[in-house]
Amino acid sequence: MRLPTFFSKKRGDRRTGLPAWGSLGEGIYHAVLLVAGLTIGVLMLAGVAVPEWRINNQFIEVNGRLIGKGLARHTLRDVFGGAKYSWRPALLVQYEVEGENIESWNTVHSSETSETRAFALHELDDWELGGQLRCWYDPEDIETVVLKQGYSWWLWLLALLLPGALVAFGVTGLIHSLKAWGRSEERQAAQFGRILETLGSPLPETTGFPTIPACDNLVNSPGTMLRFRLPTESPEAWSLIGAGLFSGLWNVVVILLAVNVGFDIAGGRADLWLLGLLAPFTIIGLASIGLFFRQLLLVTAIGPTHVEISGHPLRPGNQYQVLLSQAGSVSFRRLELFLELEEQATFRQGTDVRTERQVVWQSLIRRWNNVEPLPGTPFEADVQLELPSQAMHSFSSTHNTVSWRLVLRGVPERWPALVRVFPVVVFPAEIQSSDGEKVIVLTQTSEKS
Amino acid sequence: MTESKQIDHSTLGSYRIQPNPRISVTFNHENNQYGGGDQLRAHYIVEGIESHSISAVERSVVWYTEGKGEEDLGVIFFERIQLDKRKDGAQMSPTSLSTDHLTGALATDLPLSPLSYEGIIVKIRWCVRIRIFFRSGRDFVSEYIFFLGSVPVARLPVKIEK
Repeated sequence: MRLPTFFSKKRGDRRTGLPAWGSLGEGIYHAVLLVAGLTIGVLMLAGVAVPEWRINNQFIEVNGRLIGKGLARHTLRDVFGGAKYSWRPALLVQYEVEGENIESWNTVHSSETSETRAFALHELDDWELGGQLRCWYDPEDIETVVLKQGYSWWLWLLALLLPGALVAFGVTGLIHSLKAWGRSEERQAAQFGRILETLGSPLPETTGFPTIPACDNLVNSPGTMLRFRLPTESPEAWSLIGAGLFSGLWNVVVILLAVNVGFDIAGGRADLWLLGLLAPFTIIGLASIGLFFRQLLLVTAIGPTHVEISGHPLRPGNQYQVLLSQAGSVSFRRLELFLELEEQATFRQGTDVRTERQVVWQSLIRRWNNVEPLPGTPFEADVQLELPSQAMHSFSSTHNTVSWRLVLRGVPERWPALVRVFPVVVFPAEIQSSDGEKVIVLTQTSEKS
Repeated sequence: MTESKQIDHSTLGSYRIQPNPRISVTFNHENNQYGGGDQLRAHYIVEGIESHSISAVERSVVWYTEGKGEEDLGVIFFERIQLDKRKDGAQMSPTSLSTDHLTGALATDLPLSPLSYEGIIVKIRWCVRIRIFFRSGRDFVSEYIFFLGSVPVARLPVKIEK
């Protein structure tokens, strides 16, 4: 009898396990998640959504009178025997239903309770004994009465988030299991690959060149001297956007916190916890604003870099003219223009998705030392770029990328080092087929201007 | 009754663990080297297995990535040959497969990309895959690498100065 194997060769000749059983196991697991999600969802709906909906749609409005008031205390005991109390105003209301006088304590949602007795007492002061008020009673149980209508949307959101996630996870897993049921990976890729590629491809492909990213965005901007101006992927710009987003969001939180604290103080209450929290939050907020403006100064002071190229997409073995233009008034101790080939791999490590980058080939096109800008005139240089005749083409699939780029690295005087990246797309070299005929490949652009 | 017993024995026999088959593939180009747009023709032979224990054969021409990232797979040719007798008694078998000797051939035009690539953390490989499905539910897969293009092997990063 053959014992089950827990691992097997990944490549070469190999016998696999029982894929159908694997799919069945996965299917059962995801079905359990789906059922759990639906069950929790139904319970949440029954416990939160339906009662609220009934209050807003089925309860009947009547005029009542407040005939008694007090504080209701809820005690919550933890596993260690400790007790936690919460308080809410309890109001005794008198109202008439079909000629019958009803006296009942109002029903309050748990979200309306307060952990501070003084706060609940303060709320109770707003209610005047003997005063007239509007209330709504349950036609199915006329002694159930509420003094407020409306929906607590945040509670709905929280209540439906967990079951929603479970249902989404279960459904996508079940679809995946059904897709894989009795099918080899090649069959799945052949049958579903096209659909998935259309829906989830990170970059559109070039027609006739599978897995080579389209270069439409790289050839839609004409240059002033050469044919195309290349767009930039400056890491500094991303840092600026990141710093701006962080600063904006953080300071919104600080403002909300400050407004809340302000209202508390105006109302004669001061929450020491909130006040204590506000001080470090404000310091971080001010620091983030400072960081953002420093980054903004860094990007704007050095000045923009423009790179123009005589042809695109590039072909191995061909030569291209490149125009580099560096604006701004900053002097550079060194400026270097590189052509680089970078590999990028995305993989899962535990529950994290990580991306690793590795420059596997680098060629210095030109170096300039002690660059001194003339007032009002950008530094400009015209260089020749030759791609190796057996260079790999650009490649992009869901988890793996091979990309070419021109990289400007600079060491300015009194500023941090500068890196500006200009992606380019490289096609395969023109191919001689086995019968000696040249394969004619239509590209979107010519190579030389 | 006798006939029924024979059928049962035959069916049970097919569910026994089979020895691994030996599959050999021959390509129409020397050194398995192709260029983009070339036609790939491959001939394969499956040996060391009883043909009645096989329910289906899949042959495909695929590229896949290896290395640090998750595997990506692209299929440019796929064909499944169902050898089980269907309920109506008909047997599916295309002309390019001989069920007696379990040999077959496939032909397809190769695309212009991606080219075979031996990078540092990303590698791209092309292969012909023959997958045999046994009636027991298990399968056996064998793959044969070929090369599309002639991109040199990437070395560890070296600064090449002009």
